Amino acid sequence: MALQGSSQSESGRHEQIISQFLLKSLHIILDSRIPSLSRHDLSGELTPVSRVRKSDKWFNLVLGERPASLEDLNFWHRNVMDPMIIDVILVHEGPSSSATDDLYTTSGVGVPVETVIERWVVQYEPSGTVPPQQVEAPASYKKMYQKAIVLLRSLYSIMRLLPAYRIFKQLSSLNQTYNFDLIYKVSSFGELLSRAEEKVMKQYSFAPVEAPSGRLSISLTYQPTLSGFNLAPSTPVPPNIITDYVGSPAADPLKVFPCTDKGIPATSFSFRRIHSPTSVPFQRPHSWSSGIHRVAPFKQNHPLCGSPPAHHTPPVPCHSSSPPDIYGYRIQGYRPPSHKKGISFDEHQLSPPFLPSPSPSPPTYFSSGNPFRTAQGTETAPVSIPLPNMGRNSRYTIPNSSDPNRHSLPPMSPRSTRLDLSSQESPSSGSRSFRKTDALRSGELSGFAQLYSGQKIFKDSKDDSGRFSGIVSSSGSPRVGFSRSSSRLSFQDDLDDCDFSYPFVVDDVDTSDSQTSRTPEGKEASESTSQAFPSARKSQDAAVGVLVHMLRTAPPLRQDYSCYSSQTSKSEFEGEVGSGSGFCVPRKTTDALEELKSYREMKDLLLSQSGTRVIKKEEAKPTAFVG
Amino acid sequence: MTDIDFEAQVYSVHDIMNCEVCHLKELEVEEHSEIREVLRCILHTIVFHRALGLVRPKDKDSELFEITYVQCEDSELEKKIEEKIDLFIFWVEKHPNKKSQVCLSFYEVKNNKATWFTNKTERLYWEQWYINLNITKHPKAHRRKSHHSEVIIGPGDCVMEEKSGRQAALETSLHEVLFQIIKFVNEKRDHIPPVPNVEGVSFPYEITIPSSSDSTFGMDMFKRMLQTGHPTMLS
Repeated sequence: MALQGSSQSESGRHEQIISQFLLKSLHIILDSRIPSLSRHDLSGELTPVSRVRKSDKWFNLVLGERPASLEDLNFWHRNVMDPMIIDVILVHEGPSSSATDDLYTTSGVGVPVETVIERWVVQYEPSGTVPPQQVEAPASYKKMYQKAIVLLRSLYSIMRLLPAYRIFKQLSSLNQTYNFDLIYKVSSFGELLSRAEEKVMKQYSFAPVEAPSGRLSISLTYQPTLSGFNLAPSTPVPPNIITDYVGSPAADPLKVFPCTDKGIPATSFSFRRIHSPTSVPFQRPHSWSSGIHRVAPFKQNHPLCGSPPAHHTPPVPCHSSSPPDIYGYRIQGYRPPSHKKGISFDEHQLSPPFLPSPSPSPPTYFSSGNPFRTAQGTETAPVSIPLPNMGRNSRYTIPNSSDPNRHSLPPMSPRSTRLDLSSQESPSSGSRSFRKTDALRSGELSGFAQLYSGQKIFKDSKDDSGRFSGIVSSSGSPRVGFSRSSSRLSFQDDLDDCDFSYPFVVDDVDTSDSQTSRTPEGKEASESTSQAFPSARKSQDAAVGVLVHMLRTAPPLRQDYSCYSSQTSKSEFEGEVGSGSGFCVPRKTTDALEELKSYREMKDLLLSQSGTRVIKKEEAKPTAFVG
Repeated sequence: MTDIDFEAQVYSVHDIMNCEVCHLKELEVEEHSEIREVLRCILHTIVFHRALGLVRPKDKDSELFEITYVQCEDSELEKKIEEKIDLFIFWVEKHPNKKSQVCLSFYEVKNNKATWFTNKTERLYWEQWYINLNITKHPKAHRRKSHHSEVIIGPGDCVMEEKSGRQAALETSLHEVLFQIIKFVNEKRDHIPPVPNVEGVSFPYEITIPSSSDSTFGMDMFKRMLQTGHPTMLS
């Protein structure tokens, strides 16, 4: 029993030694070949040897912290009987291909090539028979362990004597970048080397360490010379500070960025996932590669960043940053500049992003029909609706040429006048009863301008009965204004949402006066509204009633101040339609009040007129009689 | 001449003693800087492979050659090696153009019972390394000293080229020597005594350089043999 127990403990110890031997040898090899995994004790202050972690004391060789990848490898390599094959692969520039292959090249740089320069095979070779000495030497693992110590010392020394070490030293230098790189691959089976590689490579084997029922061995196949490879410092691309990147306040947000063709490496990270040409597919269970474990020798002063392969020019230092979205919201459809050369910045041409600063000139939107154009599923700049001179005196005047915004406005139509009125009423009522709309409805804002301008011709009912009626009867919900959006769908939604019956007739007569640059969408919108409301004429009393209803349902003026959006500054009409009653223009409050007064006066006037007529007629008769 | 014969005898004796001996490939060195670097590389490499206690390896780039060797983080060891190298160079200056050896020995200390002729602690050498150096002085080197100005103006470039060529050859040879050490270290492992639970250098060692007189080198070896108390020698 005791013997069995001791033998079990012995075998357990042996397996533990073998397992740790594999791990330690892997640590030594990678520490001496892969810059990203090697420890750099630059501080000069190392913990005393006696205080190192227990795991690092194996085989009396303190190497320092194990990289996390090694821990994972340890977890992977559970079967100590499997050989551990470590390939040290040199990534270098191959012969430059045709001129058309310019995706990854800048100035005659070749295609990246991976060459195995060292193949280490560390394994425990079990023997067929159990030597009889095993039973006699219960402490045989001690002997094995001691010999393994010596073997690992030799391994450590020879790592520094092989040609690959010089490359490693170069790559470890932080002051220089090179056009090559070292990666590794660990697997439990060895991929066949190419014939060319086999021809030039030499073999070296360490004397194996005899172990009970087997032996530990380390062998090496390596390139005796690396002078045939084009290994040279790479010319670093000077940092290119882009001052006018998208999102910069200095940049024109509407600027279209041309396709850059600077030395920005392409697919640097995707390449890293490509392993050796003869390598195992990444998804194999017993294979591990350093596709993402490389350090950045190519990146100056950024040793710990993932880096592109050496054959690419060093990345622009700003590769990891994207232009800050200083406005604090996502510019729809915008993506940070990619370092893949193949991507043209034309893809980033967007409709003008929704920016807090107003669009260049409010009239621009109207003249070019932009509101409708921009309403294509993207956020649009706030529409600055030119509010004509809303002075009391000018309220009832026809929009004349002196109105700076006159030219930008589509001609007034009953529909448009209706819209004008609705938009007017909302401020007058102290609120915008506009429902919150999405960007699609930004084009509807043009209708608001029309509504405003319609105020000017409010009085001119005689000249344009259509307009007048439109104005009078525009007591409908201001949502009607939204009907001028280019999207019928949104328009239908409006209809569904509001239960009022649109009282006004949609008149297309005035569309002929519209600017030539007016978009067809505007016409479509007008047509849609006309179709939706074929017969909307009502009596003046009904119109007044609707108007009154509007005024009553509108929220008080005071709430509007709190809802004022700070994003728009110059626009008189907020481009961002708030929800329900939260939309207002404080500075137009006085105008709104005036409008309210004017409406009341209108109402009184109408009422009085109707009353006086009757009275006059009645009075007239007796006078005529008297006459 | 006598040294070589004596070496052969010593070798055979130590074989019997189960002391592993390794004669490293001879290196041709000329300048003191080369001697220093060569000895540093070799001595530290050997000790690193035989200091089997807990060690943190320290990479050291040679100042003269493109070679990186490994040291133990042991200041005492480094100091001792430097002292011996200084002594050796001092000796070389006195004995130019000679082949010489530096011997690195590992031994065990055994407390012998006090006998009637010796009560010293006995050293049992179990491994010895002979670093063979052929120290030559280039004839032009003399001229460099005496006709200093001429060399600079005249064949100065030629001298430099020769020197660089020679050093390149020396570097290659040193490389081979280091590989030789690694090979020997791994092939001969059974004779190593059990490793004590210590840090750094686990076994006592000794660096032997030729003494000031020519004939004393052999005597030093003889003295060592006496210390080991080999029965055949004593008898």
